[in-house]
Amino acid sequence: MSEYSRRRRSIFDIIDEYFESLEAWAERVRETIMERPSWNCRTCTMEPLRDIMVTADEVIVTVDLPYAEQNTIEVKPISKDTIEISAKMRRKISFDDFGITHHRGEFQRFHCQTRIPVPVYMDRMEIRFKRGILEIRLPRKHEYEIPVE
Amino acid sequence: MSEEIKIIERKEIPKGAVMIFGFPDVGLVGVIAASHLILELGLEEVAYVDSRLLPPVIVLHEGLPHSTIRIFGNHQILLAVSETALREDLIYPIMHALIDWGRSKGVKMMISLSGIPVQDRQDLDELKVFAAASSPEMLKMVQDKGLEVLREGYMVGPQAVMLQYCATLGVPALTLLAQCFFNYPDPEAAAKALEQLTSFTGVKVDVSKLLEKGEEIRLKARDMMKRTQQELAKMRKTQEYDIPLYIS
Repeated sequence: MSEYSRRRRSIFDIIDEYFESLEAWAERVRETIMERPSWNCRTCTMEPLRDIMVTADEVIVTVDLPYAEQNTIEVKPISKDTIEISAKMRRKISFDDFGITHHRGEFQRFHCQTRIPVPVYMDRMEIRFKRGILEIRLPRKHEYEIPVE
Repeated sequence: MSEEIKIIERKEIPKGAVMIFGFPDVGLVGVIAASHLILELGLEEVAYVDSRLLPPVIVLHEGLPHSTIRIFGNHQILLAVSETALREDLIYPIMHALIDWGRSKGVKMMISLSGIPVQDRQDLDELKVFAAASSPEMLKMVQDKGLEVLREGYMVGPQAVMLQYCATLGVPALTLLAQCFFNYPDPEAAAKALEQLTSFTGVKVDVSKLLEKGEEIRLKARDMMKRTQQELAKMRKTQEYDIPLYIS
């Protein structure tokens, strides 16, 4: 047996594996708890698909808004780490449009709330809308720095 | 063919067809392209996958139950399509069963349609289609048709298994990958993949309706995209962004 294969796993490997399994478990729990329809008949809203990317300098949130009327798009900070996005659709969408007959309801707006995972300057938000994709850029707030000696 | 996965034939299967795969992946390129092919060419369901390995899910169309993985076709093409994202542990057995079945029907070539995610996709006016092939001969064919080859990198998902298994079996195969959004349904990318498909199958497909209905498709495909995102995360799809260490 080679020296390499006889070597025992390091404590760091074991810790990494532990955190990976913990993450997988958390993900399963999150999926179970968060499972809900992507529409809401009471508020006549649909939840859009969205994505968040954190870079060294900013957080970029994108939201897929097909049929959205550009001049109705609203992005509001509702706390220091959450934004609310809404937009009116150019046409009403009903379940009939999807061939679904066992639900009733019409949708006219997109609506969602998104938590920003790191501190950002909400007041310096930049927004653009292209090809039906809303892009929100938020500069990151670096509250403290650890000096490198 | 695996004992655990049965392919039930509903119609006579043509010999010597081209077999196409459209499975949920980035931008849902394969599924959107497959759905358009079915509508545009009037393809009929010719077979379906039956297996206890699959989750207990069926899809209802016009009130009748259907398998989530079906094969549509005409005398020229066979098209395997899944209406739900494949679980990571099912990709190998399902793809192997479909390819074995295709071989038993004398399929002359296998082509999977998919996407390759690109950053700032919304700023791209012209989308490129890349290809990867199962053999040097297929690679030459791709280059002769003026397509760009995906030279180095990782491929993750059903198309990766398809390409490797076909290479092992000596079945001519290729994967067409259109630049697309990672997390959003991308009908424009599906249209690009279909345009390139024509040069390999000889089957002409008009993509104008697909482009016209782009917004409607994006709205309808939200839930499938969401489920697919979860499966892509589990199969570590982002490995496709990694730079490989070249080992000759």
